[in-house]
Amino acid sequence: MFLGKWTRQSVRRIIVSSLLVLGFWQLGQGSYIPAKAWVAQELMQRAWSKADDGVRPPPPWPWADTWPVARLTAKDGDIEFIVLSGGSGRTLAFGPGHLSISALPGEIGNSVIAGHRDTHFQFLKHIKVGEAIDLTTPDGRGHRYRVSNIDVVDSRRGSLVLDTDTPVLSLVTCYPFDALGAGGPMRYVVSAEMLY
Amino acid sequence: MSNTWAARNSRHTLRIADGKSTWHPQVRPETAERLPRILRRRARRSWLTAITLSLLTSLASAQVADDEVASTGPGQMQAGSLLLKMKSGYAVATRLSTDISAEISGLAARVRVKQEFRNSGSEWVEGVYVFPLPDTAAVDRLRMHIGERYIEGEIREKAEAKKAYEAAKAAGKKASLVQQERANMFTTSVANIAPGETVVIEIEYLETLQVDAEMFSIRFPVTITPRYIPGTPVPGRRGSGWSLDTDQVVDASRITPPIQPVTKDHKLSFDVRLNSAVPLEYIASRYHPANVNRKEDQYAIDLVDSDTPMDHDIELTWKAIPDTAPRAMLFTETVEDETYALMMLLPPDVTEDEPQTHTARELILIIDTSGSMHGTSLEQAQGALTLALDGLRPTDQFNVIQFNSVTSVLFQSSVVASTTNIATAKRYVSGLTANGGTEMRAAIERAMAVSPSEEYLRQIIFITDGSVGNEDALFSLIEKRLGNARLFTVGIGSAPNSWFMRKAAEAGRGTFTFISALHEVNEKMQRLFRKIERPQITDIKIQWPDGASVESFPKTVLDLYAGEPVFVRARLTHAMRALGLITVSGNAPSGTWSAELPLTLGQHGPGIGVLWARARIENLMDELRHGAQEELIRPAIIKTALAHHLVSKFTSLVAIDKTPVRPVSENLKNEQVSNQLPYGQSMNEIYGFPATATGAAGYRLSGLAILFLALLVLRVLRKEPDDVSRKMD
Repeated sequence: MFLGKWTRQSVRRIIVSSLLVLGFWQLGQGSYIPAKAWVAQELMQRAWSKADDGVRPPPPWPWADTWPVARLTAKDGDIEFIVLSGGSGRTLAFGPGHLSISALPGEIGNSVIAGHRDTHFQFLKHIKVGEAIDLTTPDGRGHRYRVSNIDVVDSRRGSLVLDTDTPVLSLVTCYPFDALGAGGPMRYVVSAEMLY
Repeated sequence: MSNTWAARNSRHTLRIADGKSTWHPQVRPETAERLPRILRRRARRSWLTAITLSLLTSLASAQVADDEVASTGPGQMQAGSLLLKMKSGYAVATRLSTDISAEISGLAARVRVKQEFRNSGSEWVEGVYVFPLPDTAAVDRLRMHIGERYIEGEIREKAEAKKAYEAAKAAGKKASLVQQERANMFTTSVANIAPGETVVIEIEYLETLQVDAEMFSIRFPVTITPRYIPGTPVPGRRGSGWSLDTDQVVDASRITPPIQPVTKDHKLSFDVRLNSAVPLEYIASRYHPANVNRKEDQYAIDLVDSDTPMDHDIELTWKAIPDTAPRAMLFTETVEDETYALMMLLPPDVTEDEPQTHTARELILIIDTSGSMHGTSLEQAQGALTLALDGLRPTDQFNVIQFNSVTSVLFQSSVVASTTNIATAKRYVSGLTANGGTEMRAAIERAMAVSPSEEYLRQIIFITDGSVGNEDALFSLIEKRLGNARLFTVGIGSAPNSWFMRKAAEAGRGTFTFISALHEVNEKMQRLFRKIERPQITDIKIQWPDGASVESFPKTVLDLYAGEPVFVRARLTHAMRALGLITVSGNAPSGTWSAELPLTLGQHGPGIGVLWARARIENLMDELRHGAQEELIRPAIIKTALAHHLVSKFTSLVAIDKTPVRPVSENLKNEQVSNQLPYGQSMNEIYGFPATATGAAGYRLSGLAILFLALLVLRVLRKEPDDVSRKMD
């Protein structure tokens, strides 16, 4: 090593400052994501109460490319989320997303709702077979579902059937719940059948 | 280090599955306590070690994220997406092989497609196969082969044909039905295939060749790129595809056959005979290695690979030796007192030294970055975009628009084609990724939103695979918004939607190009630029012989781009009394130009009447889209289709055997035969389930770890500079 003392120090300084920048940026990312998820839900609760009967609820914020399709309630009201239309990454950052290709809540077929395991759908971890999940559609109709099955599915091999003979609900999130990074192949699927 | 983490986490995985554990790796006390101590010890030795450790830590956290991946080995190191599908579909007993054979002469090809349905299961089945054909195909024959016998199909009104088929199906008789879903998408249904039995369905169609400058080509589509279905699902379903019907695509469930990764189950054989009146300079298959055998005027072409996977369109292209190729061709067919004519005429070439006006252009590049574009398609599109950017002149303006589920623009409005702007655009293009839906409407609206300033000619290059289910709505949108702009489509990928490309370009008064391999990006784009940049031939008029009443298509010949021929199909009534001349005239940059063709010189071409009828049906379908009443159009289409034995939106071919074969006690299982995933595409990007983790916790943890390391390095820096430097030296 032919570096002088001064040079070595400045090298260290650069390393320390870049580590600081990187560290704070990562921390920021890690806090911004849940914060956004929470604030968006607050905004949407407001948009929801504005919705009129039979009319598509207004977008939760003027530039939003998604809109609420249902209100999801579980755990005797402890959990309450506005479900948005579509399953794009942008939508899921703000709330659970109803996949447009799947049946609408309350209709025959499988209504598939996806959510992030580390924000909105964290609660799925504590859901047990037999528990009730309620969905209210914008026209004010409520549907009660009963959890019938909980599966862990390898998404590279498994698949979700959309055209079921009865109205069912599938809540899907990533698995395992506590993995640090995103992008794993496993999915946690909570299936529920409609009671009314 | 990373292995231990992964192993520990797998155990944890099992516990979570029982729903009993509440273990959080990021707050586990003993690790949290131990880790700094280990780090501190090592950090004292050298700051270099500390940095190595920080890298290892981030690696380890990445490892934790995917313990399942770690255990399945490096071959499968990709994040999966849950596939969404319909009940029926994947494990089917029906095996299919396809045999395509074609006879090409003059300007047309008669193609025979044999679909062999083999029931490998132990139950009786009804096989349903949704398959692609060229978008101008005139399907006029169906034959159902059962062993040595065959039954000729009849053309009927759609509902009537369906009823007859269903009745035969219920009665246990063998029956088959060929229906049209789109101009380039058809469905074959075959009822009552016995266990172990093979039924061969033979379909024939006529098609006109593509002519560009003096190059001829013909395309044989073999699979369907999964269509994106916009809209909200509506109750009930008409078919058994993977999509539900929606308010925007009411027949979505009929046009979304299951898709399978390439298998050897579906076999393809292919042979073509080409009769050429003039010697050819070359004949080639663009995407598949092929054998060509010449016997005098006849060329026989087949594929080298005997079991070619059905995952890529086949295209043959050929060109006559320069100066031998005729610049005009006329074929006629006379049925009673009606003469049908198919005419192709190449206007004089626009040469390089022609005075060029060089109107400043506003070039808008739209690129489809939806899931079906993922893989090789996106690479082809990026290549095409880069070439388009390179071709800009400093006086031009431009913009880049990309769309998937949402539309986004590079510049808020078009900018000058300066070196910096082009460089910015190139960086943008090279960073594009493909996923999500294909919401085309917004992108087209955005491109045509503001009208360009007077001195600019707006040209839109639309690069897409066209895999959408709402084609008609998009054609109407383009027609309505076009104004003075021109829209050119570039069809990308192994199996682009050819009907979308041709009709969208027609609505946009432009041309269409296909790019299905990376190596042809340059060739095809250069040809497109030549068309875009050179002056057009305008005011094309066709004068038919006096005394004949003529119905010709297209009704008005649009302005031609460089290399494009005048292509007309006509029906002349009482033409015998009028053996005159057909005169074609137009305005070329060099002045007025005209050519004469004596009707009597027309060579006899069988099937020219069918091609005329097909063009008439397309014209009527266009009128329907333009708002004509269905009560008026429908009977006209049915009349033409029945007269020429053609499958159309309102007519189907049906073949029914006389004797019932399936015992009443046996059930009939309905099976959808899948299409093969087009070459270079990814299932996950198309049917994939959204990613459902943000990784926020991982960010926080690695943020903390990095900050902690920064502290350590600071400490080392302050306390032990000499110690470290000695060690380092």
